[in-house]
Amino acid sequence: MDMKQQPPRWADRFLMWYCNPRLLEEIQGDAYELFYRSAKENKYKADFYFIWNVLRFFRWKNIRRSKQKNTHSLLSTAMLKNFYIVTLRNFKRQPVHSALNLFGLSIGFLCAFLILLWVSHEFSFDRFHKESDSIYKVLAHAKVEGVYETYNVASASLDVSSIPEIESKVMVIEGERWPNELCFRKDGNNNECVFLKGIYAGESFFSLFTFPILEGDNDPLKAPNHIAISENMAEQLFGFEDAVGKIIKIDGRIEVTVASVYANPPGNTTLQFDFVMPFAIIKNLWGISDGQFDTYAFSTYIKTHSASSPELLTKKLNDPLVLSEEFRKQNIHYEAYPLTAWRLQDKFENGKVAGGRIEYIYIFIAIGSMVLLMAVINFINMSTARATSRAKEIGIRKATGAFRSSIITQFLSESFIIVFAAFIIALLLTQLSLPYFNLLLTEPISRQWYEGEIVFYIIAGLIMVALAAGLYPAFVMSSFQPVKILKNQMNAQGTGSERLRKSLLVVQLSISIAIIIFTGVMYQQMSYITHKDMGFERSNTLRIEPTFQLLKKFDAFKNELQKNASIIGAAAANDNPLDGQPNINVSWPGKAENTRIAFQAIGCSYEFASTIGLRFKEGRDFLPKAQDTLYNEAIISEDAIKTMGLKQALGEHIEVNGYDCVIIGVVQNFHTSSLQKARLPVVLYREKYTQCSALYVRYQPGTTQQSLTAINDAYKKLEPSYTMKYWFQDDSFNELYRTEITASRLILLFTIISVIIAIIGVVGLSTFNVMRKTKEMSIRRVFGASMVQVLTLLSNEFSGVMLIAMGLAFPAAWYVADQWLSKFMYHTDLPWWIFIASLGGMAMITLLIILTQGVKTLSANPTKVLRND
Amino acid sequence: MKGSYLGELEELTLLTVGILYPEAYGVGVMDEIEKQAGRSLNISAVHSVLTRLEEKGFLTSKMSDPTEERGGRRKRIFLLTAAGKRVLEEAHQMRTQMYNRIPKMALQFQWT
Repeated sequence: MDMKQQPPRWADRFLMWYCNPRLLEEIQGDAYELFYRSAKENKYKADFYFIWNVLRFFRWKNIRRSKQKNTHSLLSTAMLKNFYIVTLRNFKRQPVHSALNLFGLSIGFLCAFLILLWVSHEFSFDRFHKESDSIYKVLAHAKVEGVYETYNVASASLDVSSIPEIESKVMVIEGERWPNELCFRKDGNNNECVFLKGIYAGESFFSLFTFPILEGDNDPLKAPNHIAISENMAEQLFGFEDAVGKIIKIDGRIEVTVASVYANPPGNTTLQFDFVMPFAIIKNLWGISDGQFDTYAFSTYIKTHSASSPELLTKKLNDPLVLSEEFRKQNIHYEAYPLTAWRLQDKFENGKVAGGRIEYIYIFIAIGSMVLLMAVINFINMSTARATSRAKEIGIRKATGAFRSSIITQFLSESFIIVFAAFIIALLLTQLSLPYFNLLLTEPISRQWYEGEIVFYIIAGLIMVALAAGLYPAFVMSSFQPVKILKNQMNAQGTGSERLRKSLLVVQLSISIAIIIFTGVMYQQMSYITHKDMGFERSNTLRIEPTFQLLKKFDAFKNELQKNASIIGAAAANDNPLDGQPNINVSWPGKAENTRIAFQAIGCSYEFASTIGLRFKEGRDFLPKAQDTLYNEAIISEDAIKTMGLKQALGEHIEVNGYDCVIIGVVQNFHTSSLQKARLPVVLYREKYTQCSALYVRYQPGTTQQSLTAINDAYKKLEPSYTMKYWFQDDSFNELYRTEITASRLILLFTIISVIIAIIGVVGLSTFNVMRKTKEMSIRRVFGASMVQVLTLLSNEFSGVMLIAMGLAFPAAWYVADQWLSKFMYHTDLPWWIFIASLGGMAMITLLIILTQGVKTLSANPTKVLRND
Repeated sequence: MKGSYLGELEELTLLTVGILYPEAYGVGVMDEIEKQAGRSLNISAVHSVLTRLEEKGFLTSKMSDPTEERGGRRKRIFLLTAAGKRVLEEAHQMRTQMYNRIPKMALQFQWT
């Protein structure tokens, strides 16, 4: 045969490419045979004929790759059913073990789901606004003493109309107290207040942000006497009546009309408000003119036409056309900061973002992944450890003709079944525990697991976990050689790598030790905070929001209170000693010109120092003389002496808010804000009652209930038409550490979960370890080893694991804990005993589990064990 | 029963496989059909009929020894199975029976 005559190469290749390899030989053979036959007559005709045949063979039946011709495909339903049944049987054969496995995986998933929900809730903040990416918050950085301080407000006079990128700008006056928190009255009830918090905003508020208006005017802030209220407020004030058009009295004097009702702001917004009023109202309430208003600074938001870069906007905001000379002189510059980033990253250091809640988000993502990893490791360890008992099954399957691939499929599907079951259980648990989780968080999570991208993450997680948990056992177990298994030549140790199992245990133990240590440090710091001597009494103290009338009649109020034995004292002040505002208007002889040094200047009544329990070092308290000592005496703290560099403080004259005061006393330092911040030097000066913002009443410990009643009675006597608004100082104190308190609660929960998973892991492994070594132990016993010797042998194995775990966990935990502690200006030292205790605790539990298992086995008669073979 | 139904081409192919025993394979069957019935088929059509018959269980197949005329490739040799023989017999029987029931008149009429 003339071998030079070959069919067209490309057609042949095409055939080889598409054709199922199992059918290729006969098809190609037929095609060639026909080609050679007709090539004897005419080469071109033969070529054409060949091509034609190749094209005609191009049908689905010849293309389809069936792995095994004439047999069922690898994943037939019958086979899957068999896998399912075998999985169930295995589950039933070792119910405790399997349940532990399932339970461990479920709570691992639960933990991951809860964290996922919380994290996505945090990340969803302010993203519900239309075009949320083009909304920016304007921040002001002011250079003070060479260091930038950042404020989340911009001057009211900021005019952005010359920047073409900006579509609109809105100013919002936010705040916690009057005039943001107001007393509203239900129709017909003139003696009870409904306290609601709201904001004052510019006209474009509702067009810039997406807070849908349900009823009434779509543009309610145009008219000067309008108010827009939330559904919640409408319901509280008017019940089911139509709210639009109703008249509300603000502060008992300004009448406003309800122009519209908007949907309650969702949980994931940084702006929470029950009403919005135009600026005209707040100017009226404050009693200021437009000119004065313009000298103030408020939260300012801008929206760009299309997504623009924040850098460009920042540059334009600082253009001389926008930023006036007056601000440039004061070293102030603006920054356009994406609104969506504000919730998680709102801390600034020297003008640069320095984190915020995002730190906790990262910590919890790390914890969630680690806990899930631990659960997966458990699963892997338990499956490979159980391989010994499954070896026979695998041997028989292989001997009767199973391919390795089908064994892999079996174990993969087995792990999928278990992982999927755990996944469903975890979803149920998540749904059930969410309300309690919300309680821990102190705010409800706005997202559900079946919402948006979360489903995607959950499904991806499911698949990843199932693969991670199933792949290794599947490959190990499918590699067993049937001959060895069936001839019982397989030694028990050969199943899966012992070293791998141990290293996985190391990972597990080190993760849980590290988490325990971090939690310990966190709780140590929290307890340090609660027990820290603030320098004054914060317990058993009530802070009362006064009305103007009450301030005027403060003396009467105090006299009324002092009729009760349980009341220690009452005072008025213009700043909360727990959380004060810095004041730079303090000067003293020798103060350098043009320096801005922040003080805590508290204007107060003469009873203040004694009421909150300040401790005098030198000098005396303010005298109960009336107005003649006003504005001419001051009490300062030790820090203030240092700051001012005074040799002899008493009798020195300083200037506070423009008044000349003589120092009459020195008090011990006290903390005026969260322990995260450095203590400020303090100056106390006397202030008129009517200039004060809050009243402080301290009572005898243990008399909270009766004191509260007494205070309320006194209040009602003087202000019969108002409801007393008050806070316990302890609560306000906790509010300062809200994020930390929430985080520490969460972390405790996850620590418990991680420890449970670790214990499950140790139990699972040690059971099998002991089972594997039953024979060895019995032989040792027969040859006269004592119980203790054998047990030592068993536990020795784990002590190595423990040591390595410790070596890994300690530096990691130390680093993270140290980072976290350094956020606090005042913190405990890294408590070494926590390191020792966590290690000791983990070691104790591990040992205890191993030993109980060992003793259980050893207490059986060794001859019986040995005779079984 | 659905599986036992034989199409016309299927019956023809089945018969050919029987005729060519024990050397029935793709090209051979194609040639034989052309010779016996004068029907020219494409080789791919023959293949699909053969595999269909195999799926129905009327044929089995095995690979032959390599042959030179096919560039050293093996042929797939098809053989009738018991079910294949039976279905052929049934078809033949049914035809004969039906044929015998045609009235003589009709036949005569046609043949004249």
